[in-house]
Amino acid sequence: MASKSLRQATTGRERASEHEGFLRYQSFKWLKIALLISAVALLVYAFNDVQPRPNGGSIYGYVTGTIGVLLILWLTMLGLRKRAITAGRWSLKSWTSAHVYLGLSLIVIATLHTGFDFGWNVHTLAYALMMLVIGSGVFGIAAYAMLPQALSANRGETTQIQMLDNLRMIDRQLNEAAQPLDADGAAMVRMSLDDDPFGGGLIARVTGRYGKCGTRAALAAVRAHHIRVEGEADPYDHVEVLLERKRSSLSRIRKHLRFKALLEVWLYIHVPLTFALIAALFVHIVSVFYYW
Amino acid sequence: MSFIVRTVARTADGRDIVRPKSFDKAELSIGRSPSSDIHLPDLAVALNHAVIRTVAGGDVEIAATAGMPFVVDGKSTEHQRFSASPGANIRIGSHSLSVEPGDGAEKGSVVITVERVGAISNASEEKEEAKVFSLGAVLPGKRAMAWAGVFLVLAIFLAWPLASIYTQPTDATRKVAFHADELWTSGKLSQVHKSLENNCQACHVKAGEAVRDTACAACHTKVHDHADPAKLLAAKGSLGIVGGTKAAVGSLFGIQPGRCVECHTEHQGTTAMPVTDERFCTNCHTDMSKRVETALKDADDFGSGHPQFEPTIRFAGPNGLPAFRRVSLDANPKEDNGLKFPHDLHLSTTNGVAQMAKTLGKADGYGAPLDCANCHTRDATGTTFVSVKMEPACGACHSLAFDQVGGTIRTLRHGDPAQVVADIRAFYRAGAPRSAALQGMDRRRPGDFATAGQRTNFAQTSAMHIGNADQAIRAVFSKGGACFDCHTVRSTGNPTTPFAVAPVVLSKRYMMKGWFDHAAHDTESCASCHGVKGSKLAADVNLPKLAKCQECHGGQDAHKAVPSACAMCHDYHRTEFAPLMVRDHRTRGKAGEHIREKSLQEAGAGI
Repeated sequence: MASKSLRQATTGRERASEHEGFLRYQSFKWLKIALLISAVALLVYAFNDVQPRPNGGSIYGYVTGTIGVLLILWLTMLGLRKRAITAGRWSLKSWTSAHVYLGLSLIVIATLHTGFDFGWNVHTLAYALMMLVIGSGVFGIAAYAMLPQALSANRGETTQIQMLDNLRMIDRQLNEAAQPLDADGAAMVRMSLDDDPFGGGLIARVTGRYGKCGTRAALAAVRAHHIRVEGEADPYDHVEVLLERKRSSLSRIRKHLRFKALLEVWLYIHVPLTFALIAALFVHIVSVFYYW
Repeated sequence: MSFIVRTVARTADGRDIVRPKSFDKAELSIGRSPSSDIHLPDLAVALNHAVIRTVAGGDVEIAATAGMPFVVDGKSTEHQRFSASPGANIRIGSHSLSVEPGDGAEKGSVVITVERVGAISNASEEKEEAKVFSLGAVLPGKRAMAWAGVFLVLAIFLAWPLASIYTQPTDATRKVAFHADELWTSGKLSQVHKSLENNCQACHVKAGEAVRDTACAACHTKVHDHADPAKLLAAKGSLGIVGGTKAAVGSLFGIQPGRCVECHTEHQGTTAMPVTDERFCTNCHTDMSKRVETALKDADDFGSGHPQFEPTIRFAGPNGLPAFRRVSLDANPKEDNGLKFPHDLHLSTTNGVAQMAKTLGKADGYGAPLDCANCHTRDATGTTFVSVKMEPACGACHSLAFDQVGGTIRTLRHGDPAQVVADIRAFYRAGAPRSAALQGMDRRRPGDFATAGQRTNFAQTSAMHIGNADQAIRAVFSKGGACFDCHTVRSTGNPTTPFAVAPVVLSKRYMMKGWFDHAAHDTESCASCHGVKGSKLAADVNLPKLAKCQECHGGQDAHKAVPSACAMCHDYHRTEFAPLMVRDHRTRGKAGEHIREKSLQEAGAGI
């Protein structure tokens, strides 16, 4: 009985869990470390009187710059590290926790490295790319913290394959039901059948708005075209019911796609921009010493 | 001719089920209608889409019946005739009808194999779950985007600038336009270096080498060192941990200490060259005497560590030759300028001098007790004062008139004792005194002479209206005489020119090592700094002491009315121009540009 109640405690939606996510890993150990680093960097910056004004070429600038670039390279290593899941002190969870909090501390370290000296040049480009990478990472954390529950609630117990199979089944039924229809009727139904349920592009995925949805168009066309005659068996009736069912099925799939897109989209900024950032950092370092 | 229609259906596990059906007629209907001979349950197919028939010559003909096309061997058409052997492939909607001649038992018939080749719907097509449900379906891959980003950044920000550096000329033929290496700039250049904005290599001469003084000296040919470089280095003393580390690391890369750019920091935005920070001076000058042998006094913040002023004072040296020496104002130095002039007497508001000035009237610039401006006038720049000239300043009261011919007053020649002696002798030779008005020691009243300026002190030259020429000459050069009152007179023993006057040399500038701008102090009165009201002797050096300045001026960061960095009065690279800070304060716009240009020419900037 004890084991049963324990399982219930962990399978409910509200997890009274012993599970510790990467954010609160080891009671925010890495958050504390990141805050400490940031505080030290700020304190030294405040009491470090660089003439004529703070810049990356001062000793403080060199130190924060070196720390910053090493940190960025190490943070990038998570991409390699995540492919090997291990437990223990240097577990992947620990790495991820450190990745998040040390990555956030870069906001302080790198900003102080710039000395607030910005311009239209490769140096500020590197800074801007870094901030975009961090910003997308923050979005990712927010998405990971908020969306999985909604995703799970929307999906219920069905899998993605089941969702797709359901759609295919409705399509088969639609195809059957539309056989007696004339060319016009068949064309209406084909608007739904030929429409790619996964089409619509990035914006449709992220917003969940599919302006050119074939099923919706088909449903509207069938309803507009069809004048119901009382007491007659009408193949359009069945088609309409099936289209309605398909629309509801699609809406669930698309909601699912939207949550998945929001969970993934930040990585499409985070990862490519990280490499652009490393390239910009490389140019930044080369150029400041080339034109010393 | 007959048709054999083989309908192929696929089971869920992928097996094909073929259902043959023979038609013993020459024409078959094709359509979605269940009554069609070849029934295609396909919404893309019309209810009665086409007919297929055999025609003479072993050919087969297919023709559309609903005006909707089909595809025969890849070609869209509404009517097609082809040979039964080898046949053709017809595509209607999602169905494929392959037409072949029958062989074996079926020889002589046309075999049509009907098979659904397209999926019922888009969703029914084969989909890779992992792909279609993820964003990968609608976005290019992360890896591709990463490579694209890396390539783009390296191409624009590395390859392009490098190409520009190695292909563009750096001499006069270089175009004044954007060059790609400007993408590497760390900020705009200062106003004076604006013209170098497009030419990074003007200063950054060699790749990887920090800017050297030689790059600066390429234009600034005449700027001299502040002092002997070795001594400069010694004066700096210990650099401390931070400075020492910096110097040590710098030396690894061949960076010499004391480079121009240590003070003249560039890429700080389009501003004027910033005024030198106080610390650049005090770094060395604080306790400098402990580190290097120097005649200079240690100096620190103006509010707390500046030595007393040491103006350059003129002395009577050995053999009566003038000598100059810097003396601290604390020593209350007396200077030898050869003049007798009590400031107190002249600035009194109550005595005879004051009364005299009142009587002279406003028309001549008097009319009130004397003030400084009656004698001292500003020079054109306003920075300092022109030397006091005897004739306009003293001569208004101290007249040298001795005779009147017609309406013209004759005066003794100022500054030329021999001429004075000669004039007096000539005067007596001509039978002087002749004018009743100029007789003897008669008391003169104001208004006696044509010009007010010459009348008042006639009493002194009138001393010579007694006896003979020699007596008159002696009287003029002796106590109570016109010359003696203001000048140091000595007798020469030479009967032709029996008296000589010590030359008068008034100091034009006391502070030779610093700069003082009177115009900047217009809000003050003269007396608030120069304590001349009580000065009885011309030898008094009536300069304000340090403490007087410190009433308003403090160090760079002082909470005083006028925080004053060293550069307000002193220049690092001394020229004949005022320190930069003073110039920038005084002149703006065109005048400022003009002066800047001149000073840069002086520094050999080749403008």
